[in-house]
Amino acid sequence: MPCTQRKLTTGILMNEMKHSPNNNGSRLATKEFTLNMGPQHPATHGVLRLVLDLDGETIVKCTPYVGYLHRGVEKLSENRNYLQILPLTDRLDYISSMSNNIGYCVAVEKLFGIELPERTEYIRTIVSELSRIANHLLWLATHALDIGAMTVFLYCFREREKILDLFERLCGARLTVSYPRIGGLKNDADARWLEDVLAFTDEFPGRVGQYETLINKNRIWLRRTKGVGVISAEDAINWGLSGPTLRGSGVPYDVRTVTQYGMYHKVKWKICTGKNGDIYDRYRVRMDEFHQSNSIIRQCIEQISEGPIMADAPKFTLPPKDRVLSDMEHLIHHFVLITKGPQTAPEGELYVPTEVPKGELGFFFVSDGTGKPYRMRIRSPSFVHVAALPRLCEGELLADIIANIGSIDIVLGECDR
Amino acid sequence: MSVVELVKKVLFMEVLQGLALTFRHMVSPSVTRQYPLEKREPFPGSRGLHALVRDAETGKERCVGCGLCAAMCPSQCIHIYTSEGDDHKKIVDRYEIEVLRCVYCALCVEACPYAALTLTDHFEYCGYTRDEFYYTKERLLENWDKYMAGEKGMNYIKNFWRPRSSDFAAPSPERKGP
Ligand code: SF4
Ligand code: SF4
Repeated sequence: MPCTQRKLTTGILMNEMKHSPNNNGSRLATKEFTLNMGPQHPATHGVLRLVLDLDGETIVKCTPYVGYLHRGVEKLSENRNYLQILPLTDRLDYISSMSNNIGYCVAVEKLFGIELPERTEYIRTIVSELSRIANHLLWLATHALDIGAMTVFLYCFREREKILDLFERLCGARLTVSYPRIGGLKNDADARWLEDVLAFTDEFPGRVGQYETLINKNRIWLRRTKGVGVISAEDAINWGLSGPTLRGSGVPYDVRTVTQYGMYHKVKWKICTGKNGDIYDRYRVRMDEFHQSNSIIRQCIEQISEGPIMADAPKFTLPPKDRVLSDMEHLIHHFVLITKGPQTAPEGELYVPTEVPKGELGFFFVSDGTGKPYRMRIRSPSFVHVAALPRLCEGELLADIIANIGSIDIVLGECDR
Repeated sequence: MSVVELVKKVLFMEVLQGLALTFRHMVSPSVTRQYPLEKREPFPGSRGLHALVRDAETGKERCVGCGLCAAMCPSQCIHIYTSEGDDHKKIVDRYEIEVLRCVYCALCVEACPYAALTLTDHFEYCGYTRDEFYYTKERLLENWDKYMAGEKGMNYIKNFWRPRSSDFAAPSPERKGP
């Protein structure tokens, strides 16, 4: 059909309408039209390709095609030792790489049975909540921009920039941080840094107020989000959704309360949930999480005390540099750890989920006792959320697909891995 | 709908509030930076281009060619070629980093037992050919002179060549071994 092809490539959306009245004579008979959206489309938040069957402006069928950003992280991991895999996990969800790193480290530490010092847990909690704020800021910015609110985009980036600066001061990188290490951290956070984080949390709630002034009651925003893309609580559970997307439907499930990691049991916070499961509720859940994360960070900074940042697990962590060249055993450990990986890894299988800003990120290891995982499987929230996209979009209008993609908060680096 | 709400709706109150906010921002100081003209100093420890440490005494590289950095590198972009010298010492003939493949994780710095390799805070480099990004030993040593000379390099090693004994928890009494 050369005619359809031409329309596809020029991107013009038209119905191939037959101007013949149907039985009751009132409606025009229409023919389905296939539209290709993506993979290079700014509103798909990455390289997602959707093939849409349209009846007029209504979506009859939506088929997502993923894999354009597949880099084979799982396969690459099988050829790298546990210490080397860490930078690969940065590139899963590159918007909140800190959370991915921590998720990976928590999983490996559970596999190896490493106990972390308290200060490490506190710093990890602080940085993962900072990364949650940064992620939700980017989410709000792009989601609002997709729907048509440009100012919010600019304001969100202003605050996100501050968090990235804090990350750079802490570990030297802004986006792909590689900050945690198995059994500890790359380096300690100094007191000035903690003070500046505290200063950030002082002013941040006011900034959230600004975003809310702009869009919370705006009638265009409400029309685009209220009652659109509704997921019932039952469906959300059946489809395996997690994170704010699940909580927007009113299911109070948060992996931070399920897996023991970080200092979430020592601070006061609550799980934010929505009621109706529409786009507006998912937006509200993330806005409430801003305040929760902010308060978690503040409490952590109040409670944190001086102490070591590396666990006492010499079989799994690099030995101290000042002893490597003066102590034979440390030197041997250093060489073996780097060239072969931890040699005393227990055999077996283990799945450890953690709550990253987008949902439940799980690492499943099959360990055969060598320094490399025999198999590492990543359960990424975005992949599951993309799978739910067809059911969200089918029967809705074409324009709502943009709002729907935004509201489930996907990043294709993590989806395709 | 109450009368107040109706009036608010008719007067586009929520839009006016938003406009008032944007107007306030229009007259408040700008937070953006005109990047290529106005540059921010990178924070200490910022991870950018590599540099091989030049030993102050010998004036040569400090690297002994042990190959640990190459073994650790997750993107496998460090290539080291060594040979045996007259006094049976290892000589580093070639030490090369393909920086186009590097992911700036700084694991190589952590792997080096001699503090012979650092990352500098220089991040703005571009070129027309791939050769320009193939850093040889000489170019890496030049990087040290250019970006890490004096106190700066020593401070980097002091603060970011980790872990150190002070980072560790005290060994538990029941554990045997180092
Ligand atoms: S910074 Fe990372 S990727 Fe780059 S050379 Fe060093 S170890 Fe390899
Ligand atoms: S680890 Fe250090 S000493 Fe060994 S080859 Fe690399 S730079 Fe040279």
